[in-house]
Amino acid sequence: MKNIIKYSIACALTLSMSACKKDWLDRQSQTLLVNEQVMNDPKLIVGLLANFYDRLPTDASLTSRWQQHTSYDDAVWSGGGNAGDEERNNIVQYATDRWRIYDYALIRDINLAIENMNAVGNRLTADQKLQFEAEFRFLRAYNYFEMVKRMGGVPIITTQLLIDDKGDVAGLRKPRNKEAEVYDFIASEIDAIKDVIGNTGSPTRANKYTALALKSRAMLYAGSLAKYNNQLPSPITLPGGEVGIPANRAADYYQKSLDASKEIINSGRYSLYNGNPNLGENFFEAITKKVGNPEVIFAQDFLQTKGRNHAFSYDNIARSIREDNLGSSAIAPTLNLVETYDFLNGDAGTLRNRTADNSDYIYYDNISDIFANKDARLYGTVIYPGTSFKGSPVQIQAGVMVWNAATNSYQTVEGNLGSIYGPPTFPNGDGGLLTGASGPQRSAQDVSNTGFYLRKYVDPAPQSSNRGRQSDMWWVRFRLGEIYLNAAEAAFELGNTPEALTYVNTLRKRAGFPDNSLTTLSIDKLISERRAELAFEDHRLWDLIRTRKATEVWNGSTTSTTANLYALYPYRIVRPGDAARHNKYVFVKLVAPRFRTPRFFQIQNYYMSIPQNAIDANPLIVRNPFH
Amino acid sequence: MKRNIFYIIGCAAVLLFSSCEKDNYDAPASTLTGRVVYQDQPLGVRSDGVQLELWQSGYSLFTKIPVYVAQDGTFSASLFDGNYKLTRLRGNGPWADNTDTINIQVKGGTTVDVPVDPYFVIRNDNVQRSGNAINATFNIQRVNTTKDLEYVRLYVGQTMITDQVRNEGSATKMPADIADMSQPVTLSVNVPGSMASKEAVYARIGIKTVGVAELLYSQPVKINLK
Repeated sequence: MKNIIKYSIACALTLSMSACKKDWLDRQSQTLLVNEQVMNDPKLIVGLLANFYDRLPTDASLTSRWQQHTSYDDAVWSGGGNAGDEERNNIVQYATDRWRIYDYALIRDINLAIENMNAVGNRLTADQKLQFEAEFRFLRAYNYFEMVKRMGGVPIITTQLLIDDKGDVAGLRKPRNKEAEVYDFIASEIDAIKDVIGNTGSPTRANKYTALALKSRAMLYAGSLAKYNNQLPSPITLPGGEVGIPANRAADYYQKSLDASKEIINSGRYSLYNGNPNLGENFFEAITKKVGNPEVIFAQDFLQTKGRNHAFSYDNIARSIREDNLGSSAIAPTLNLVETYDFLNGDAGTLRNRTADNSDYIYYDNISDIFANKDARLYGTVIYPGTSFKGSPVQIQAGVMVWNAATNSYQTVEGNLGSIYGPPTFPNGDGGLLTGASGPQRSAQDVSNTGFYLRKYVDPAPQSSNRGRQSDMWWVRFRLGEIYLNAAEAAFELGNTPEALTYVNTLRKRAGFPDNSLTTLSIDKLISERRAELAFEDHRLWDLIRTRKATEVWNGSTTSTTANLYALYPYRIVRPGDAARHNKYVFVKLVAPRFRTPRFFQIQNYYMSIPQNAIDANPLIVRNPFH
Repeated sequence: MKRNIFYIIGCAAVLLFSSCEKDNYDAPASTLTGRVVYQDQPLGVRSDGVQLELWQSGYSLFTKIPVYVAQDGTFSASLFDGNYKLTRLRGNGPWADNTDTINIQVKGGTTVDVPVDPYFVIRNDNVQRSGNAINATFNIQRVNTTKDLEYVRLYVGQTMITDQVRNEGSATKMPADIADMSQPVTLSVNVPGSMASKEAVYARIGIKTVGVAELLYSQPVKINLK
């Protein structure tokens, strides 16, 4: 009996153990997906793609590093200072790693995805594999472009690098490719994938025209580097060509850029947005309207209903119409940007605030009159005095100027937001508005410091500037407007000015200019057209770098009008005895009060430094010049 | 029993205090000072602009210690005792690249002169005021001839730290206007209106070499206005 019990226990034990053994180590994980699962399921591959799309770098978008919009010359920082962003108004010089990207983790992830899909993705059709691989390669090319424009030539790695079984790492060390080779790689990758990438009509996944847009932009950069770097008194080069493209390549690159741009323009798939008869609103909608927008080629989208939001509108909406108790106003556009926009009659955009002989102010009946007949893109980009947003007027007035007959001069009075020039604070006041509900104020946080607010990319949807709800405005990476300007510049550099004028004048016509408003072109005019059209779309820094104008425009001089950032303060005149002047408006131009140090871009900033740990790990990596 | 408690408290106190001591390093106590020199004369540069690099091997974190050169050509750094390598950052200062490493043993106060090979130096500079104008006379000496002169400039500023970035006014002379570089060059600038009421201004001459970001400067000169 005892034995029987013993045996049965032993049997039971054996059975229970062996039964377990069989699938104990062979179970499917409940939390991890393995390569075979991911790479055989198109839905999971799209998930992987989404991760890579989300990691595409920018210098300044709506989410990552959006504060960088205030590090150059289109805006000053007017938000809170606690997070160290006040530093942006006081950049003594740009650090040599400020916009560095050396992201081989992302490159490796993409290489790995391509290799794994081809190795184990047996259940995908050949077409699916081709299409996904094309999309991966587009993303890789995009990343190489973001690296080469910051670092110069970088090692082109297209396979995963594996350590050999002896542990020898020498085989993993790759030298930097030439700068020109990286641009050539981008062009050849796009040529290889553009006809198989699919995704026709998608504004958020890459299709043929997205790839061509990347080529249009990258080839334009390469062409202008080849041309303008060699026009420097002492071109920036490295002996191995890691930095510096030979001048004789310029025409080839410009031609490739022009061809790519024309293929997009002539495809008929995209057209300039013209959905609103109000030209200013139309330009705003051309970038911000997410449904039925024929102009946007490629965007990073967000979606309220899925909780994929961002706080860009919270941080940047005009002060008086904010829907939260904190924040607002961080990106305050500068007078420098506002004056980039020409008058519709063709005059340069300089605002007329003083009489021709500079003896007195010019007195305007309405606060917005000084901006009358400006390029409509100004309205679409910037909220200036006398305009509205979300249907509410944005009240911008710095203060009043009271005439003092005894001293024969004006006395400037500024007050709190939305204050009245009258009793009890000002017993002799006239009871009119003192300072607008949206400022500007000289030293306050979260209120414009320049007299302007950002309109472009601020969400017009109700409650979108509230931290609880947030905004799902999209970030446009490519749109047809840029392609027109790319085509114009490439054609101009190739000597075909009439063709270039057609493209520029098409964009200017949409902004309210008459037909053929420009009859001559220069590279400086093209850069200022790009600044006007593409403000806050992450172009300004790169345009000045690739044409080697940054050291000139941001020369760090305290007396420079382009390195200093300016504000425009409107004042109401209180001069009851003088009907021609009383209650009129005058405008004062001044360096933005919170802006402390002129922008100073030095020759070593044209290329960022290679990270020290990359040089330590790989002796084949050469340093960039000046680092 | 009471005694035990005292012992325990005593032990605890000892432990507490000693542990503190153990994981605190002393701040670096040694100072490295030096000058950037050509023919034993310090060279004037832009404050906060020109950088030397210090490296120390043997630690897992191998990254440079940047050492900025002051406007009068001197520099200093607080360091731990040890062996360092000092390098001249390429293309950074107004002198020719020299990648030779200077080995430095830092022990207490250490002084080192860093010789460089400038493209140009300013000799016999003399700055004087006459009425509202500040006049400078100086010789340009070409040392390293691989790069050309871009311009010379006379700066007026409100402090000792007057240079390309911080100035109130300047006058420029291009190489085309300098007929003979062996002869003294003259430059003249008016005291800017914003400075007219000050007690004194500072004047400084700068030489820009083609393809080099930083200028080489003379030592600033204080000019009394009253």
